[in-house]
Parts: sequence; structure tokens; C-alpha cells
Amino acid sequence: MGDVKKIMIADDDPGIVDSMSLILEFEGYEVSSTLNGATLLNFDQELPDILLLDIWMSGIDGRDICKHLKQREHTSQLPIVLISASKDIERSAIEAGADDFLAKPFELEELLFKIKTLIDFS
Amino acid sequence: MEIKLPGAGYKDIFYNSQSPMLIIGTDAPVYTMLDVNNAYLSATNTSLEDLIGKPVFGVFPANPTDAVSKNIERTIHSFEQAIHTKTAHTMSNYRYDIPIPGTNDFEERYWTTSNTPVLDDDGNVIYFIHSPSNVTELYKLNHREKAGVEALKKQQYQLYSTFMQAPVGIGIFKGPDYIVDLINPPLCELYGKTADEMMGKPVFEVLPHVKGMGFESLLDNVRLTGESFRGNELAAKFMRNGKLETAFLNFVYEPFRETDGSISGVIAVATEVTELVNAKNQIAESEARARLAVDAVGLGTFDLDLFSGEMITSKQFANIFGFEDVVPRSEYVAVFHHDDLNIRLLAHEDAIITGRLLYEARVIWKDNSIHWVRIEGKVLYNAEEKAYRILGILLDITEQRNAKEEQRKLISLVDNSVDLMSILNLNGINAYINEAGRNLLGFENEEQVSQIPVSQLHNPEDFILVEKEVIPSVMEKGKWAGTMMVRHLQSGEVFPVFNNCFRIDDPVSGAPIAVGAVMRDMRPELAAKQALADSELLLRKITSATPTALWMSDEWGDFTYVNQTWLDWTGTSYEQNLGSGWVEKIHAEDQEKTAQKFMNDLAARHLYEAEFRLDHVDGSVHWCIASGQPQYKNDGSFSGYIGACVDITEQKHLQQQKDDFIGIASHELKTPVTSIKGYAQVLEKMLLKKGDVKEAMMMNRMDGQIKRLTSLIGDLLDVTKISSGKLQFNDTEFDFNPMVRELMEDMQRTTERHTLIENFSTTGMVYGDRERIAQVIANLISNAIKYSPSADTIIIHTALKEGEVTLCVEDHGIGIPKDKLEKVFEQFYRVSGDMQHTFPGLGLGLYISSEIIKREGGRIWVTSNEGKGSTFCFALPVKNSKYG
Repeated sequence: MGDVKKIMIADDDPGIVDSMSLILEFEGYEVSSTLNGATLLNFDQELPDILLLDIWMSGIDGRDICKHLKQREHTSQLPIVLISASKDIERSAIEAGADDFLAKPFELEELLFKIKTLIDFS
Repeated sequence: MEIKLPGAGYKDIFYNSQSPMLIIGTDAPVYTMLDVNNAYLSATNTSLEDLIGKPVFGVFPANPTDAVSKNIERTIHSFEQAIHTKTAHTMSNYRYDIPIPGTNDFEERYWTTSNTPVLDDDGNVIYFIHSPSNVTELYKLNHREKAGVEALKKQQYQLYSTFMQAPVGIGIFKGPDYIVDLINPPLCELYGKTADEMMGKPVFEVLPHVKGMGFESLLDNVRLTGESFRGNELAAKFMRNGKLETAFLNFVYEPFRETDGSISGVIAVATEVTELVNAKNQIAESEARARLAVDAVGLGTFDLDLFSGEMITSKQFANIFGFEDVVPRSEYVAVFHHDDLNIRLLAHEDAIITGRLLYEARVIWKDNSIHWVRIEGKVLYNAEEKAYRILGILLDITEQRNAKEEQRKLISLVDNSVDLMSILNLNGINAYINEAGRNLLGFENEEQVSQIPVSQLHNPEDFILVEKEVIPSVMEKGKWAGTMMVRHLQSGEVFPVFNNCFRIDDPVSGAPIAVGAVMRDMRPELAAKQALADSELLLRKITSATPTALWMSDEWGDFTYVNQTWLDWTGTSYEQNLGSGWVEKIHAEDQEKTAQKFMNDLAARHLYEAEFRLDHVDGSVHWCIASGQPQYKNDGSFSGYIGACVDITEQKHLQQQKDDFIGIASHELKTPVTSIKGYAQVLEKMLLKKGDVKEAMMMNRMDGQIKRLTSLIGDLLDVTKISSGKLQFNDTEFDFNPMVRELMEDMQRTTERHTLIENFSTTGMVYGDRERIAQVIANLISNAIKYSPSADTIIIHTALKEGEVTLCVEDHGIGIPKDKLEKVFEQFYRVSGDMQHTFPGLGLGLYISSEIIKREGGRIWVTSNEGKGSTFCFALPVKNSKYG
């Protein structure tokens, strides 16, 4: 079972973190999370298989974090899905280097599809 | 040789001579008869015995039948002469009657007797031979002839006298030259000549002026043919009393015949009828003149027989009644104006009493035009004093009536004028002032007008103007206009009037006769001016006090006015804003756009509307919404704009706050919704895994409701984005029909009642925001489902036509009333009416859809039949490439 994929969720809303963790754990993923996006800037722990990153987190923009991580050698290969309640910022999310984008509220199947796709092809 | 004749031989000759001879002795006074021959005895019915030896006068006494001829004395005288002169003496034609034998009567005898003395050798008279010759027959013949000549002479004289004294002119003209053979005084007088001037001369030589007037040929004709000629009222020219006059003659030319019947000349009998002709001409002329006058004044005449009712009318009479020619009386009566028939009747009744008919009435012509007529007539009465006839005239007085009417209107105009109108005589006294004028100046009645001199209508100092300027100007230039002060007669109030006065000239002589004036009381005008000034001030105060900037422009778009508010906002001077100066203070980014919009609206005469930012004097930037209403002059031509400019900074700010709020709120709402959705979905999966199918289904329904909630939040966000211009599009090229089909499959799942029917044509690729276009189609289909609760089909059509891809969603639902069709695409529009509350929604879907389609460069529309269903369509341009 060493193949259990690890997913990290970064969102300042505990409800989102909780519900998404529940879903993904139910789907068989190992989920870690943070409510403070800033902690990701010095991300030096073991990398998850995928990072689900909220854009509008209190005090910090997920796109900035995404850019930062994609620039860092350590995390440049980490698949990142930017998540936002605004559909309109999908383009800027892709421009920030995100591998995919998901607008809230999303369908469960859509989330799982995107995760599976990114993990399988990375 | 001397031959001696025997005495006896001579005796025989004597006794047998046929001539009666008596030889008488010289024994005067006895005169004895000595011998006698037979012829004498026979001639005197005597015998020889009766005579011889007897005194001669004893036998032949004086005739008892002839007392006057004194034949005895003449005989004695003849005897004495013969004896005394010793030569024969003859008594001629003396009467001596002889007795008729057996009677006492005498026979009348005339004698021519010679007494021849016979001398002896001594030369003494011895006896004488008395030889009477009976000349009775000769004498009588001679005498009769004499009497005949005498009678002829007398007759001739009488004829001549008649001729000369005849009251007609008579003349005899002889020969081809018509030499005056005889002419009587009347003809001389007619010719203007004396008889001496005329007699024996060719008539045309004496009367040269009649030459060539045709009389020559008339005379020639009579002279040559013998046919007489009668001339009537022929004109001839004569020089009379030194004047050439035209005389009119009635004359007869008769041929003058000699005793042998040949024609040697012409007898002319002429009467001058000049006066008659002149009189006749005068009558004719005056008749013609009268007729002319009658015609000229349009007089018709009539003659009405009151017994028979018949009326003779002139043609003019008929014309005035509108008839071509005269018609019977009844037809005239028939065309009287119905309202005037009674006037006519009363006038006729009155006429019988007064003897005079007079009335005015209207007649209606065939062409329905109305004409006024005046009928005047004189009634004639017979011996029984009964009216039997009316003679009269008829006059068309339509024009007079109209003129009168015009005059009445004019007078009425003057009377009712609110301005003073007056006629001022040159003596300084008004002849007339209308009622308005009398009231204005305080006249108590009309009489006062002609009693109060004009000088009393002014204060002395004001009257100077009248005397020194007004009157002289009117007299010299014909008019004066200006303001002057007048004084009210009663109150003494002095007030201004505007006086427009003019000289009135005598139409014939041209001399000034009066001054006309029209005066207007200026107090109301001044009051109005004051009121206007007050109201202007008030308006200025209001416009200055108003928080709205106001402006005006002329037809060229140049600003002519801005109010104080604008000046306060911008810190500019009034002049700086005129023309196009106002643009300067508009925020730099908005200047061009705003100015362009204004010019475009101006060119189209449109209502001007613009939103722009304005740089205030304090450095702050304010949002303004400006509007301008196009203005038109009375003649309909465009005169510019009157507009306002409202500061909407606060509203803009509030709008922004609202948009921000909705944006944030909806964003914030999405976060818990996402969590709920996540819980619901994972719970459904868990329940399914546990086999709790019913519970899982409930979770699925919950998810459905969460989707609706998400959609509503999405709409709110979209509207916010539209109003702030932040709606974004991610245009890509995509195949249209498959997208629609996929969407239909999704939508079909949301309804059990309806079947979505596909009616596609080939459309090909479309370049646009796939998700947004899908949002529009989904909105149209969900509306179709929502508003056709009783129908079971919805048809979706697609087509490619003229470079556009069209999509239509056709339902068979409740439809939309015609007057609402335009409104369905407006923000917050919802179906109104009884069922309103039964249809859910925010009223944003179609608004968002139409905005999306517009932003994609397409158009959206709807056709609908209320109660039968609607068809919503949109069309998008086909773009060849994403850069097209």
C-alpha cells in the first residue's frame, strides 16, 4: 500500500479543508492540510503527490504561492491544482503555472478526475 | 291817167258792200243820216225809211241796257274828230246794243267803227261815212280770253303766294345742274341763304357742304326715272349764321314735268326735323344712359300687376336673382332665403298702405351662394284708390352688405380692442375714443370725449412732448411711435402708454384732417417685465442653489449657458465654459469620449446622455451623468440643448459598494456551499457503499438543491460583473451542435414531463466562450421548461444562415404578452400577472443571457403568442479564426 497517494490541501477555510479531506480520504488518499498558505513558501518536507491550493487565502494569494513553488527546484515538479470561487481567474491561475484549475463549488467527480489525471501522468 | 268813175257805179258798190256804211252829214249836233247801205240796215235791224233824213242819235239813242259805256259821247267825239281833223277816226270795241225786233229787249253788240270824212274839192268836209263793223263775236272772244288770262294770272299768283308762304321748304331745281328755279323762304331759311343768293344758281354750288352727302344721286334718280323719293330724318350740313350745322330733313323729291311730260327738274319739299331728331336722340340717349346707369349699378326693374299677380322683370332683375333670363314671379319668390320670406311679406303689406315698397332680403342662387337684394317700389292706385300696380327697382347689395359687415366687424374690432384707439381732430379735441380708451383715460361717457381737449389728458410737463415732438412728427412724417405719459381724468394717475399715431389725410385733397392713435397701457407690460425680472432672479437663485449643474447650447453645439453650480464645481469662470470650453474640466480619460458622444447626439438631434468624470476645483474627481433635451423653435427648427449634469459620485460609490458587496458575499457564500456540497457528495457515496440507497437518494436531491443555490449565486455574480464591465470571456473555437446536444442531455435529466426535441441543421464551428454560450442555452431551455408547465415538448432548432449560427428554443407554454416582449431581456424582469408568484427566479437569467450574446457580437430575440408559447432565439456571427 506504499502506493497510497498523498494529497495536500491548502485553504484558509476549515470547512473546505474538512470536507475535502473527508472526501479524499474516503476515496483512499492520504490527506494533509494547512490553513495558512504562507507555510508552503518554505515547503521542505516530503512532497505530496499533488497540491490543492486555494487562491484567496487570508493575507496571501495562492497564485503567488504557486509561482513560488514552481520556481523552486524542490517543488517545481509538484502538480498544483489552483482552486477558487471565481471562475474568471482560471486564466491567471494557469499563467501562474498551475497544472489545473477548479472552481468552487465543484462536482466531486470533477475533483477526483483532475487529481487522478495529474497523479497518473506526473 | 285819170279815170273817172261813174257816180252810179260807186253807189252800187256802196249799197252792196258787205261792210255796213251810213253816210252822215256834218250838221252837228243833229248829224242827219244821208244815206245807208244794205249791210248797215241788216246789221242794225232797220229799214231805209227808219233812217234817211233823220238825226242819227234820234234813231240810235243811248242803250237803256248800257248806262256805263258812254258810247253816244264817244261817238260824238269820234264824229267831231273826223270832221275836225278831216281824217278817218276809228272807235274800237265799243258797245252798242241793238233792239231785238218784236221785243223790248236788246241784243248786246260790240262795234269797231270808223268815221271817214269825205271832202269836197275845196277840202271841206261835206259828209262822212260812218262804217260800223260788228265785232261782237270778236270782242266777246277777246274779252273771254282776257278774263281767262286774268283768272290764270290770279290762280298763278295764288299758287305762288301759297308756294312762297308755305310752312315747308319748297324748291324747284332745273336741269342736270339743279339750277334753282324757284325757292321759297322756308327753304331759304333752311339752307341759311337768301333767295337772291340761291336763284338761278346750281344748288350744290351755293350749298357746298351738302355736296357728296348722297343728295346728288337721289336727285339724279328722280330726274332721270321720274320716281319720287321720300327721305326721312336725313342729315345734311349747312352753313347757317356763320356756323356749320347738321340739320335733319324730312323731304320729298318729285319730278318736275313740263307740259309735254318731259322731266326738266326736281321739286323738293323739305321740312327740317333737326329738333325732333335731336329730341329723339336725346330721348334715346337719355334712355340709353338710364339703361346704362341701371346696368352699371346693377339695377333690375320690375312691374307688378297687383290684380293678376303677374310681374314683368328686366333681365338684370333676373340676373340678380341668379337666373340667366327672366322667369315667372313664382320662381323669383322661390329663391328667397327662407328666413327672409316674412320680411318680404310684411314689406308688401306695408307698401299697400304707405305707397312705398322697401325691403332687403337674401336670395339663394343655384350655386347656393347667398346674395343680398334691396327692393324698392312705388305703388300705383286707381280711381277707386285701390292699389293695382307696383313699379320698382332691384339692387344687388351683397357687396354693400358685406362691406357693411366688414365695417361692422372693424368697428367691433375697434370697440373690443383692449388698446386705446382714437381719432384726434386738428383742433386738439378727440373726435372718437373707443371704449377701452375711454376707460383707460377715465372718460365717464362718450360726450366727454368731444368736450375735453387733449391737453387735459397729460400733465403740463408731459404735454410738452405732445406739442413739440409728437404732433409735429405726425404732421411732417405722417407718424410717431413711442412712449408717453398720460393722466387719468378721474384719479389723476400718470402712467406710461406706448403710442403709435399717424396722420389721416383727406382722401381727395390729401390735406391732413386728423390724427389717429393706438395706445397701449404699458403698466401691465412693465409689471410683466418686473415679474419676469423677478422670476429670472428667482430662477437664477434656484439654478444656483440647485445641486445640479445646468447648461444650454445653441444649434451648433456651442455652450451658451452654464449655471453657478457648474462654475462652483469646476472653479471656472462663466466665459471659460462657453463654446466648447466646458470640455476642459472633464476628466482627461473621459474628455474625448464625452465630447464625441455630444457631437454625435447633436448631429442626430438625439437626447444627449453621457456619464463621465469631472475634475473638481478641490482636486477630487466626481462622476457625473449629463443629459440634454433637444430644443426646437416655434417654426420647428432645432435650436440647441437644454441640459443638466447630476453628480452621481455618491451613487457610483454606492453602486461599487453594492457590487463589491455582492461579489464578496457571493464569493463568501460559495465557500460554505462548496463544503456542504462536498459533505453531501461524500455522504451519498458512503451511504451507497453501505447500501442505504434511500438515504443516498436524499443526499443526491440535496446536491441538486445545492446546484440551484450555486446557480443563483452565479447569476448574482454575473450581474455584478456585467454592471461593472468585468464579465470575462474565454473565447475558443468549438463545434456548436455537439455542444448543444450535450447540454440537452444534461437538461433532459432535470425534467420528467418535457421531451427536448432536436431539430438541427449543420452549423459548423463557432468561435466564442463555450461555457457562457452554454449558460445562455441552458437558461433558455430551463425557462422553456419553467414556463410551459402544461406542455410536453420543447424543440431546439439550430441553423447556419448568412454567416450567423442561430439557435431557437421553442416552447408551447404560457407565452408573453406583446407589450412585454421588449422587456423580457431587461434586468429583474419577471413574468407579471396572476401567476407571477408561482414562477420562481430572480429575473436575471435572460438579462445575463442577452448581455452574454451581445458581448459575443450576436443578437437575441423572442417571438411569442400569448397562451400558445414562445420561441427564444439568438444568433452568433461565425468567425473564421480566433483572430478574425
